[in-house]
Amino acid sequence: MNQKPTLLLIDDEERILRSLAMLFRGNYILHTTTDPQQALDIVEREPVHVIVSDQRMPIMRGAELLRRVKEKSPNTMRLLLTGYSELEAVVASVNEGEIFRFINKPWDAAELRSTVQQAAEISRSLMSAGPVAPPQPLFTDTGSFVAPAFVQPEETLLVIDDDAEVMKAVQEIVGPSMSVLWARTLDQAMEALERHEISLIVSELVVNRESVTPLLKLLKAQHPEVVTIVLTPFQDVTVFIGLINQGQVFRLLPKPVRRGPLGMSIGSALRHHRALRAAPKLRAAYQVEKIREPEEASTTVATRVLGLLSRIRGRAATT
Amino acid sequence: MTTDYAVRCMTAAAHILPPPPTPSSDIGKLLLDVAPVSPRLTIDAAADLFLKPEYARMLCLPIAGDDGRPLGTLSRHTLNGIFLRRFGREIFGPRSVTHAMNASPLSVDLGAGLEQAAADITAKLGSPITEDFIVVDQGRYVGMGIVLDLISALQQRVDQSSRELGEAYRQLQASQAQLVQSEKMASLGQMVAGVAHEINTPLGYVRNNVDMIRGVFGQLGEVLEAHEQLGQLLTDEGADEQVLSQQMFQCNALTTELRDSKLLEDATALFDDTLFGVDTIKELVVNLRNFTRLDQARLGDVSLNDCLDQTLTIANNVLKGRVAVIRRYGEIPRIRCSPSQINQVLLNMMTNAAQAIEHDEGKLLLKTEAEGAWVRVHIQDNGKGMPQEVVAKIFDPFFTTKPVGQGTGLGLSISYQIVQAHGGRIDVVSEAGRGTKFVISLPVEAAATMGSP
Repeated sequence: MNQKPTLLLIDDEERILRSLAMLFRGNYILHTTTDPQQALDIVEREPVHVIVSDQRMPIMRGAELLRRVKEKSPNTMRLLLTGYSELEAVVASVNEGEIFRFINKPWDAAELRSTVQQAAEISRSLMSAGPVAPPQPLFTDTGSFVAPAFVQPEETLLVIDDDAEVMKAVQEIVGPSMSVLWARTLDQAMEALERHEISLIVSELVVNRESVTPLLKLLKAQHPEVVTIVLTPFQDVTVFIGLINQGQVFRLLPKPVRRGPLGMSIGSALRHHRALRAAPKLRAAYQVEKIREPEEASTTVATRVLGLLSRIRGRAATT
Repeated sequence: MTTDYAVRCMTAAAHILPPPPTPSSDIGKLLLDVAPVSPRLTIDAAADLFLKPEYARMLCLPIAGDDGRPLGTLSRHTLNGIFLRRFGREIFGPRSVTHAMNASPLSVDLGAGLEQAAADITAKLGSPITEDFIVVDQGRYVGMGIVLDLISALQQRVDQSSRELGEAYRQLQASQAQLVQSEKMASLGQMVAGVAHEINTPLGYVRNNVDMIRGVFGQLGEVLEAHEQLGQLLTDEGADEQVLSQQMFQCNALTTELRDSKLLEDATALFDDTLFGVDTIKELVVNLRNFTRLDQARLGDVSLNDCLDQTLTIANNVLKGRVAVIRRYGEIPRIRCSPSQINQVLLNMMTNAAQAIEHDEGKLLLKTEAEGAWVRVHIQDNGKGMPQEVVAKIFDPFFTTKPVGQGTGLGLSISYQIVQAHGGRIDVVSEAGRGTKFVISLPVEAAATMGSP
């Protein structure tokens, strides 16, 4: 029989640890600790499939701990458990921790159990796939984007934003290394997705007074290899958490556009996309949560997006 | 308005009268359109002019040269002095007005401000008031003004100014109340974030535990049912032995499964934790209520030691795990104060202290003591401290060293006002790199001024 997956729980409240430990007992090799340093030691010492961390802890914030865990063990699936979602924490958990799920306290036991189980399965399959060849760095030490030496003609970046500044910034960053498409409305975005194979998306959350969020979520659900950077002045914690859990958004960047961080994000996103394409198993790691009805899926936007997705599904299957 | 007689007498000067002054100027509004008399007019004729109803209000007649420049004034008072003398009228009557005129009359420039004009005139004005004042524009006569008119205009102006001042003061008070409110909302937001986290943590494990215990109950129910059936089979004489042994096996299996899951033996611990969590939440809610005291009278006799403890639970989320709190409470009498306001002050000080501590060995000393008619609270941290130039400004409204969006710059200013309204004071000692100490002194007997700050 397969060995049980390893689950690491960290929280500064011991009763949370005790409670979670009982929830997962029997199905996992369990480690619990209140000390982030100890958590890092465990990750270094042995393969850990899933880590569930509290956000507010003395010494080290959860997002910071998960960032370090990612560096030490990229195949460990990272979940953040938090009592109060602060914007800063949510953004950091995406941009630094690249977390799998953001879970609010109090949680639903059955839901958490299935999320952790899913994470463990993904991690296992990633670990058994062996290390992915390290991709070529796409940015210099100073953080500026360097166009790859050879052009991969099938890599296309889609900008969904009615702000010309953003399009201009993206074009200047990637230069001739990628083709860049510009969609100023949701319809244009869907048209672009239908006609071209998109690798990266740099998107605003609202264009032409229509929300792009459902498109981003549904697209990721169908095409995990498409990597999304959200660039927005909106700061709504709930929307962001939805984008993480249901959209696996890769980066959340604030507006106005700053070229340094945007360049670095595009660089990492491209590497990430290539890794996803190279190892289909990896795509599982970016599986999204099922979108809850009727909140998003019943909207007309969602209906249009679903239509689009079914049209391009056939093409996607061949890639 | 000018009589034929006057016209005749004054033709010399009339033609050079400047156009009527713009009534918009302060002095212009007081201006009486009185033509000046010629210096060649006799005192007799001047005296007759005073009898005309048009001059009834005038204390003096203006005298101007042909070029329109004022030469002086001739007052009723002066005429009195002349005519009351024996043969005064006979001797002086035929002489020209210049012989009796005041050559340095009260004079005001048309463009002068009301306050300035009043100041100039009252400086020169004798008692009793015997003269009116000449109004000049660019050195030329334009009309006359009455001192009393000037004074009553000034009075009106003062009344209006004080009305405006009163209005401005009310607006200022309103905007201050608004600012105090927005500071309250800001600290409330901070508090809600902290309290939500504090409550959601116990809620997290309480919910999870209850969820698991529900599962255990399901399992227990199955075991119970199996055993019941076993009991029935045992008492049933006609029971099939194979069915009986199967039932016994099933009971055994279910019991083993339950035991192996260890949930039952852990249930006590689960219940203990759950009760602890529920009590934690209860305590938080009680403290939250005590903290704001919205359900009680504004004023109460409270112990500052209790206030400190209530505030500590609220501030816990910024202190917990990072800052060691040392409580040195003394025996202090209860004081009459507004607990929610005092708690607001204490929370502000504790939050500031927590924010000032940027290292891992944070300490917060809370000390209370009674001294004579005073109760003192010391709140001391070993944070980054402040240089003297910052200490000098910390109670100023809008002064903040925190990044934009993190502080309204009103917290300490409002704290200061609250303590002052309670008849107390806040003292501060700080050293950059070593820490800060606030001392709040409050009188045991409430000050009479206490109320809304």
